[in-house]
Amino acid sequence: MWHCLETLKKVSVSPKEQLDKYLSEGKKVIAVAPVYTPEEIIHAFGFVPMGVWGADIEINESKKYYPAFICSIMQTVLELGIKGKYSGVSAIVVPSLCDSLKTLGQNWKYAVKDIPFIPMTYPQNRKPDYAVDFTVEMYKRVINDLENITGEKFDESKLKKTYEIYNEHNRVMREFSKISEDYEVSAADRSAVFKSAWFMLKEEHTGLVKELIELIKKEGKISKKLRVYTTGILADAPDLLNIFDSNNLQIVGDDIAYESRQYRTDITNGNDLYALAKKFSEMDNCSLLYDRDKKRVSFIIEEAKKKKADGIVVLMTKFCDPEEFDYVPIKRAADEAGIPHINIEVDRQMKNYQQANTMLQTFADMLI
Amino acid sequence: MYTLGVDIGSTTSKAVILEDGENIVASSIVVATVGTAGVEEAVKNVLNSSKLELKDIKSVVATGYGRMNYDLADYKVSELTCHALGVHKEFPNVRTVIDIGGQDAKVISLAANGKMTNFVMNDKCAAGTGRFLDVMANILNLQIDELEIEALKSDNPANISSTCTVFAESEVISQLATGRNIPDLVAGICKSVAIRVAALAKRVGIVEEVCMSGGVAKNSGVRNAMSKELGVDIVFSKNAQLMGALGAAIYGFKKS
Repeated sequence: MWHCLETLKKVSVSPKEQLDKYLSEGKKVIAVAPVYTPEEIIHAFGFVPMGVWGADIEINESKKYYPAFICSIMQTVLELGIKGKYSGVSAIVVPSLCDSLKTLGQNWKYAVKDIPFIPMTYPQNRKPDYAVDFTVEMYKRVINDLENITGEKFDESKLKKTYEIYNEHNRVMREFSKISEDYEVSAADRSAVFKSAWFMLKEEHTGLVKELIELIKKEGKISKKLRVYTTGILADAPDLLNIFDSNNLQIVGDDIAYESRQYRTDITNGNDLYALAKKFSEMDNCSLLYDRDKKRVSFIIEEAKKKKADGIVVLMTKFCDPEEFDYVPIKRAADEAGIPHINIEVDRQMKNYQQANTMLQTFADMLI
Repeated sequence: MYTLGVDIGSTTSKAVILEDGENIVASSIVVATVGTAGVEEAVKNVLNSSKLELKDIKSVVATGYGRMNYDLADYKVSELTCHALGVHKEFPNVRTVIDIGGQDAKVISLAANGKMTNFVMNDKCAAGTGRFLDVMANILNLQIDELEIEALKSDNPANISSTCTVFAESEVISQLATGRNIPDLVAGICKSVAIRVAALAKRVGIVEEVCMSGGVAKNSGVRNAMSKELGVDIVFSKNAQLMGALGAAIYGFKKS
């Protein structure tokens, strides 16, 4: 295996080691909860933003705070927090993008006393000018909290360099996704590239992914597998990814919140906080970003067509209301477009992937 | 050329030996949970009755829940693919297959050439499956085969929850306590399975002819209730429980 890929895979399964590494280098680490947080502000402070999207673990402690019928990503984030797995992190930023996320912030305050919670409140209608101004004010709230918690002072002029780093990372991740359309990249490897991005400084991650892209171009094999486009919140469970690989399915593009949705929009309106808020206002095609016209539906269909996908795999995170609401129009649109599709329910507590295996194996048979 | 299809289900193991992709030479159904014992016995049975040996078999195809653990298989194929192949061979005009097995229920849409065009399956729930019928038969102190006989005696099926096996179990016990007769309860139980699976079937769309396969298809109480729920006639074969294994053997023939 290529060294850069090996490194990315190792990072993707060892976030604790990454945390300890950054702490030992004297860096402060800030946890960032799903789905969009102003990572750039954290980076410009000189801190390391690290993604916390829970883990495939048994839920015990967080059951005190949550009912059974709520997103298991949130539940396991809280579980890991209560169990001290994020020990060393200076603070956690939780955005207000869905009802479950709101409860994560509320519960975190009571359940995890040693890691301060910083709310990032986004406007529901993010596009008008007043909404952009509101977002800027909320960024200032995050900055204020970070200053108080860490004792460091924010310097807005540092944003310029950070924006360059983040835009370049976005570009490289899009290029990786693009090259994975045609070259044989396993679902497990593809996921490791996206997952590791959450646990590394972006400038470090960019370097490794660039190296990987060059190696794929030089030494990779052109894929002859069945082509599928994935959509959902999360798709990082090894057993699930193995099912794609063992059934000859190549992920040629995704609309996964944990993956490509993060890298679609660049910062292009300057070097200040307003530019970052403007970027948020320009983001689209996500179940958590309010859009009464549901443009995400046609986006998915067009992307699937562009990438010559044989089918669409909807990976439905259990109890995710925003995704469930979007599923119906996505299903109808895929039917109308004549694109085969399948809906597979996933969550952080799945231990048995037998049904998912049968469904994907059958789906692959149907696509041949 | 002989091919062997084995369908290792959650409650029974089935085996079929097929000659030239056409004639069933031998078949066997062994009641056993997923594991090696049931399938080994089923394979032994079909080899004995066909007077063949494993070396005579060109291709072995495994399907069903236990397929991944069956080492003799040349191919491990999903049970939906196999049921589609098996049903299409027996009933070329069928466009919708409803397969209710011991642990799950599936609905498959077929094109005129037998190609699968869509499918749906239930997920992690016993309601609407053979397991549901097992639990209910147990409460009523009946053998599973007796359900069909009891259901036919009823002209007023009881209302039983189609949402959850645990809820349904409580309902049946409550209704027994209030003196509701067994035939009505059994007919209600069959109707409950039919309502649950019919809802699943409507998701893919019902196109006639409609066929039921899998072990539960043998129960006329469920077949009749399903026919009523969907408003269509249900085609049924005496080989309903063997459709997966038959399809597996056909798959082996096609691959050879």
